[in-house]
Amino acid sequence: MVRFPSEEWIALFKEELNKNAAYKEAAKDWEGDFLFVITPDEGLKKETVFYVDLWHGICREAHLAKHNEKAAFVFKGPYSNWKKVINNELDPLRGLIRGMFTIDGDSKIILDQAKAAQELVNTARKISVDFEG
Amino acid sequence: MTKTIDCYFWNPDLGIDDTLEFTYEDIGNDIELKKPVLTIQALEKILEDLKKTRKEYLLSLDIPDVIDKIGRVASLWMDPGYKGRKTALDVLPTVTGFSPEMLEYWGFDYFLSTMRKENLPLFGKLHPHEYREFSKLSDGLVKAYGISTIIHSKFQPEIIGHVCAGNILGIAAFEMIMDKLVDAATWVKVPSEEPVFGALYAKSIEEVDPRFAYSIAVLPFGSDQKSLQEFLFSKSDIVRATGGELTRKSLTELSEKYGVPLAGHWHKFSFITIAKEYLDSRARGIAELASLDICAWDQQGCFSPQEIFVELGGEVSPLDFAQLLAEEMETTTRALPKGTNSGKIQVLDGYYQYLTKEMMGEPVKIFPSKDHQWLVIYDQSTMNFDPSPLFRVIRVKPVADIMEIPKIVKPIGRFLQTVGVAIPDTRLIPFADAMGKVGASNIRTVSSMTLQKSWEPWDGRFPLHELMEHDTVHWVSIDTRNIDNELQFALKRKRSIVDERLKRNGTWEKKE
Repeated sequence: MVRFPSEEWIALFKEELNKNAAYKEAAKDWEGDFLFVITPDEGLKKETVFYVDLWHGICREAHLAKHNEKAAFVFKGPYSNWKKVINNELDPLRGLIRGMFTIDGDSKIILDQAKAAQELVNTARKISVDFEG
Repeated sequence: MTKTIDCYFWNPDLGIDDTLEFTYEDIGNDIELKKPVLTIQALEKILEDLKKTRKEYLLSLDIPDVIDKIGRVASLWMDPGYKGRKTALDVLPTVTGFSPEMLEYWGFDYFLSTMRKENLPLFGKLHPHEYREFSKLSDGLVKAYGISTIIHSKFQPEIIGHVCAGNILGIAAFEMIMDKLVDAATWVKVPSEEPVFGALYAKSIEEVDPRFAYSIAVLPFGSDQKSLQEFLFSKSDIVRATGGELTRKSLTELSEKYGVPLAGHWHKFSFITIAKEYLDSRARGIAELASLDICAWDQQGCFSPQEIFVELGGEVSPLDFAQLLAEEMETTTRALPKGTNSGKIQVLDGYYQYLTKEMMGEPVKIFPSKDHQWLVIYDQSTMNFDPSPLFRVIRVKPVADIMEIPKIVKPIGRFLQTVGVAIPDTRLIPFADAMGKVGASNIRTVSSMTLQKSWEPWDGRFPLHELMEHDTVHWVSIDTRNIDNELQFALKRKRSIVDERLKRNGTWEKKE
């Protein structure tokens, strides 16, 4: 069990992603880094941002983002909605469509790589977590 | 040999086909349209099955799967060899009155490409407070006007109904696709003027995934069959409709009677604005682009321009621009001819009305086509916005400053929709802002007026959001963040459509 969100969680996420053959296949054409922004609500008091660098099916880097770190895509939503995604109660793209998340970046690429995005989420769901409150 | 075209679609395993009567309408050219005589009992079964399919199948799909299926269907239609496309091209000229060239080279090659998977909207709801100035969205800009008061909210609609107008091809297909992105089952009442394409598109979805397709029913019936419309309305979570004043009145009554929200898209006006900066060596290119907006769908869409405001002070005067436009109307019309419902009477009416004015010494000049296929009118007699008789009749009006236009069109503000523009980036934002305040919703590069990008708002509301929530915010979009680039791209696209056609029929002439 690791705490979500935390440095441990993102390190484990990178490890799991690089073990995921389905992700490797689905994301073989993917080039681009992400900021995953978790805005505070419920038990989370402070905004947490993960930086994840994805390159042709490999996660090259993943860490708690430093101040002002930039990425090609920014996927942002409140903590309560991230919990729903990780608990398999919400498809993140459905969340986007319903305004529960926002994305900044070229949506054409996301649409083209929707299967890869799905595998990212599937990987996150494999990690047993403790939530903040 | 007569070709019979089914104008309906639902899950064939329902077993209702044997219980229904069908009519066969001969529309000429050896084509007959097969339509069911629908009953309330049949509709009950259809709706029950739609709900079941949604629950048991549609909701089990991940959105990437949904996007993938939509993309595969769109790819079928982009393929000139696809049998559904061939059937559509065989019958739609007779059904719709549009020319085969318009349907194929504008409709299928460009208009339908808005439904390709990479063009789908990936957001349903934006937060207005983040868009109080024009801000990036996809490859354009959007801005929110007004305070957000939520009037209706249901983020998981079970059944969405659509009542489609018949002036533009493809609305039914667009609606089916949008509904799937919000996990809803769909019924579509297709228009009696064009009852074919919706069923053909649904069948192409069936080819990709039958169960996915069975969350859709395409229902042809006349607006006079009020009991059917009322029944469907009463069983839906929301109804989106396009149409004229009669449709608006009758559906508003139903909406109030059953408390079912109505997302209505009614009669609108659109126009073009050309800034003086583009009236230099690029003026002919701008005239080429404007001619495409006027010719597209024979000017029948709410997004089709009805007037062109041309700013004074450029190297090319508004009168000379009208002359250039007339020359380009001739060229574009040769490549994309008018259909059989050509509105020749409207063109002639416009011609004689303005010929009289010209003879009486009024400050107007007409540029007619030899065979009354189109008409360009330079009109300095009034600054008021005048609706066009349509069918490729356009008025060109001089304006001292483009910032005067919002004041000119203010009286029809709530009916405004699309403004086609050739305005430099530095002047575009203030112009778009002023137009947004007056009531327009889409600022598009000239020649793209009829090519809605799926991320753009539709009459001030986003197409997906509108299916789930209604509020009082009015959204305004600009379809590009770099007008020069977009104009260059648009000109290449226009020439690839028009010049290529003319080269093929041997009437192409190289431009200076």
